[in-house]
Amino acid sequence: MTGPQARGRHPSGGRRVAVTGIGVKVPAGHGIEEAFETVLKARSTAGLVGRLVEQDLPVHFACLVPPFDLDAYLTRREARQIDRTTALLLCAAADAVAEAALPLDLAAERVGVQIGTGIGGLPSMEAVTLSHGDRPRDMPVHTVPRTMANSAACRLAMRYGFQGSCTTYSAACASGTTAVGEAARRIRYGELDAAVAGGVDSAVTTVVMGAFARMRAMSARNAEPELASRPFDADRDGFVMGEGAAALVLERWDLAQARGARIYGEVAGYADTCDAFHIVAPHEDGAVAARCMRGAIADAGLTPADIGHINAHGTSTVLNDRAEARAIDRCFGGQSPPVTAVKGVTGHLIGGSGALEAALALLCAARGVVPPIANLVASPEAGLADVVIGTARSIPPAHVLSNSFGFGGQNACLVLTPEQ
Amino acid sequence: MPTREELALVVRTAISDVLGTEVDEVHEQTSLLVDYGIDSLELMEIGARLERALALRIAVEDLTGARSVGHAIDLLEARTAGQS
Repeated sequence: MTGPQARGRHPSGGRRVAVTGIGVKVPAGHGIEEAFETVLKARSTAGLVGRLVEQDLPVHFACLVPPFDLDAYLTRREARQIDRTTALLLCAAADAVAEAALPLDLAAERVGVQIGTGIGGLPSMEAVTLSHGDRPRDMPVHTVPRTMANSAACRLAMRYGFQGSCTTYSAACASGTTAVGEAARRIRYGELDAAVAGGVDSAVTTVVMGAFARMRAMSARNAEPELASRPFDADRDGFVMGEGAAALVLERWDLAQARGARIYGEVAGYADTCDAFHIVAPHEDGAVAARCMRGAIADAGLTPADIGHINAHGTSTVLNDRAEARAIDRCFGGQSPPVTAVKGVTGHLIGGSGALEAALALLCAARGVVPPIANLVASPEAGLADVVIGTARSIPPAHVLSNSFGFGGQNACLVLTPEQ
Repeated sequence: MPTREELALVVRTAISDVLGTEVDEVHEQTSLLVDYGIDSLELMEIGARLERALALRIAVEDLTGARSVGHAIDLLEARTAGQS
């Protein structure tokens, strides 16, 4: 490569942004390589959850992070003060930061933390409401710092002493994508030299699950949880709740390159829009979502023809999948690149999903493989989007578009480019 | 009224629960500030646990004013004696 990009310049004139570390604690694995392998197998990680069965909620299953050794990441003192949401994020971020091995002489005020969460501390507030609602004088002293929405991001900043911009984004299911995109912008335009960006949610609780179930947004396939998440499939009946955290270390490309860091690739483009239409339903014509996709592609200095594949939001709800397929068709003018949707395997991590999927999409783009969509047999949207059915598709390494769409009409899209 | 020894065990247990240490690691000479860098919320949590265990209102000054665990036990002993 020659020209401005070779010198660390983005087409916008700003700095290019490198991904130099990835950490995940998700249902598909405790590291990004394990998650990648699980996604390639296209087998769902959903399973029955005892507390949901016992209370006979309408939905009995979810995708949970398999148990791992929290003590390897957290002191007992720290663990007492935080909830599972924060714990998952700290563990994922610890892996990402360790892998990136940021230089010790990096100025603390030039490193930021940018985290997305849809539900935040509500699950732990739910727990304290149930345990102490009738005796509020006895509530744990750490109730507020444990449950506040920015707890995870600020704990992360505290742990490493990162004193740059620390922001928590709440854009429902698009939160993780928003966080990665906003972090990249801050680096691109000179506010930060590096950031830990990511997303997290852990909301498999009776109240949160009960609330989503009341909207009939979730699959109720209790007898076959492993077949429940089936993005773009004719037989889908809703999304499957998941939990988990994903963190990416983003860094000024030129600095990463100068220190010889391992570079996974680049956060090349980002855009976000709002349908401004309905508080939960996407606009069925997909026009604003398509504008978001085009915006992210243009932000990267590319055209739709440059996109090698799409990591769809693909929740396995009829409304999302149909609107997203229409948006893809609009954006790509009927020439859809291969489309995958990893929620068939991982479930929907809410705020965690966008960051996980950005990381997975980058690996898939670099390795030239588009995973098949789990449980997808026949799609009514096949004429609009080239959904990958059955076996993985091989493609030349190329830019990838990663979509996230959330309640509230939130649309956020990233373009990621593998290291050449 | 608890003996000083009983009181000491209650205090050391509350401290070790909040700080995630073993009870044996908390001594009379231990300074929560110097040895553990304790913060105000952790101190309040210890206070809340002691209030529950001893059925006693504990003044914030008793928590923040104690120089060591032994000193805190002394202050509490005086409080519990005053209560009976």
